[in-house]
Amino acid sequence: MAQDSAPSQPNLWPYVLPTVLVLGACTLYPIATVLWMSLHDWTWGGDSVFSGLKNFKLLWLKGSFVIALMNTVTFAISAVLVELVLGMILALAANRVTRGAGVFRVLMILPLMVSGIAVSLVWKVLLDPTFGVINAALAGVGLPEPNWLGSTSTAMASLVMVETWWQTGFVFIILAAALKSLPEEPFEAARLEGANGWQMFRYLTLPMLRPVIVTVVVFRLIDTLKVFDLVFGLTGGGPLRATEAVQTLTYQTAFKFSNFGEAAAIVVIFSALIFAICAAYGALDRRTGGAE
Amino acid sequence: MTRARRATILSYAILILAGFLSLFPILWIMGISLKTQADAFAMPPKLIFVPIWDHYAKVWGDAAFIKGFFNSVLAALLGNLMAFVIGIPAAFALNQRRVPARGAILAWLLLSYMLPEFLFVIPMYGLFQATGLYDSVFGLALVYQTFTLPFTIWMMRAFFADVPFALYEAARLEGAKSWQILLRVYLPMAAPGIAATAILNTIRIWNELAIALGLTFDKAQTVTLAVAAYRGYASIDWGALSAAAITSMLPMLIFAVLAQRQIVGGLSLGAVK
Repeated sequence: MAQDSAPSQPNLWPYVLPTVLVLGACTLYPIATVLWMSLHDWTWGGDSVFSGLKNFKLLWLKGSFVIALMNTVTFAISAVLVELVLGMILALAANRVTRGAGVFRVLMILPLMVSGIAVSLVWKVLLDPTFGVINAALAGVGLPEPNWLGSTSTAMASLVMVETWWQTGFVFIILAAALKSLPEEPFEAARLEGANGWQMFRYLTLPMLRPVIVTVVVFRLIDTLKVFDLVFGLTGGGPLRATEAVQTLTYQTAFKFSNFGEAAAIVVIFSALIFAICAAYGALDRRTGGAE
Repeated sequence: MTRARRATILSYAILILAGFLSLFPILWIMGISLKTQADAFAMPPKLIFVPIWDHYAKVWGDAAFIKGFFNSVLAALLGNLMAFVIGIPAAFALNQRRVPARGAILAWLLLSYMLPEFLFVIPMYGLFQATGLYDSVFGLALVYQTFTLPFTIWMMRAFFADVPFALYEAARLEGAKSWQILLRVYLPMAAPGIAATAILNTIRIWNELAIALGLTFDKAQTVTLAVAAYRGYASIDWGALSAAAITSMLPMLIFAVLAQRQIVGGLSLGAVK
């Protein structure tokens, strides 16, 4: 909640000027440059020839961008769904218990503290098909031992699993805080009317949490669409491009193949997608009267 | 047994299972970082073993790792410093609603926080090569402002909003100027907020990979890049790889235990408020 001020008080634009300058340098300059680069055959320092939409056409023809985009969207939607369901179950469970809630909260935020690259190394060791503890445990109880990250049929699911281990704590923390802030009265009234647990969740908890759920989903969705560290660390996009993501493809195109024009074209399309999600969220948020 | 009691027992069971799953991977890798090669690869896995410190000695004898570690410390300090010096006045002004185009600036901040890393990396790669900022911790901290600055302004604005307006009016009546009110009334009251924000900024910078990968080469390499260099050990030297991973995450894990309240409060602030 912000405060209104009397009209006599001075305008504080000098206070935001440094922010506007830094944001301008760090966002407007890159946006303009990337747009320019995407329309040119770009080489650093050399002559850059205007090439119209050639870079975009090449992206379409080569097909790797489309594959990466599909993979990324699959990854993001699966991960966010799993994180949301698990986070909700954990928040509801934590809301019921009285003892040990603090210890549990610490345990749940531990994975959030770890960098994506360290998470990758940890899980590479755990999921190792021959020496990993997970396959050893599966073998111990007579279950099949999948080649988690090495097979095209399981690599994506393994990535989603690791991502879920890493970030479910975030969803849990936010939903748990939101649950705590809900008023008591509607639940007491419903209990007196004889409503059961599921009915109260479905018709009271869920509608009241909706603005928070929307916010969490948008944040997690954008974060998972931008996935880079886990793919870079766990699969490198393989096997056979099964886990190639938009941002790892951008990195490869720019820094491995020095094809900056095409990398810029990927960035333009991808940024437009992120922008569209933000704009939709902004419009939705205003309509539902959430935080500004 | 009543329904309510059954639900409570089920809740405990779920939480204990989730807590175990959360902790187990970290503990397991910690174990491997303290095992001999033979123990690490033993089948079935050894739960009881004599700990050795050789792998940590190896990682801490690796000059590239040490350099990465301290570059990240520096990047976190610089990134926080820039974000607070630039962001606190902005947060104050935005909270006071005394800024032109306030809505547009807020939307711009959110967008800057959300846009993909390589949108910033690719153009900055050229600009930094030309200006000498490439492979410098300062340049890195500058590009990190795309996320630390929006986050800092967001958080500080929320903490400033909790300062009673009566205090502001009282200071006004005594003839204090805006900057004096910010420094003497608002900042002291928002001190816990500054701590929470700095912790979350530090975690984010410490763990950042994509921007550091694109904009550094050697002398400004960060701890995440130093850890990434151990990926190649995945099939040969699990001990060194695990010791590197654990060393890199330990400072942040200690943060999590010591500053649990600030971290949880900070994370939930934006979404719930």
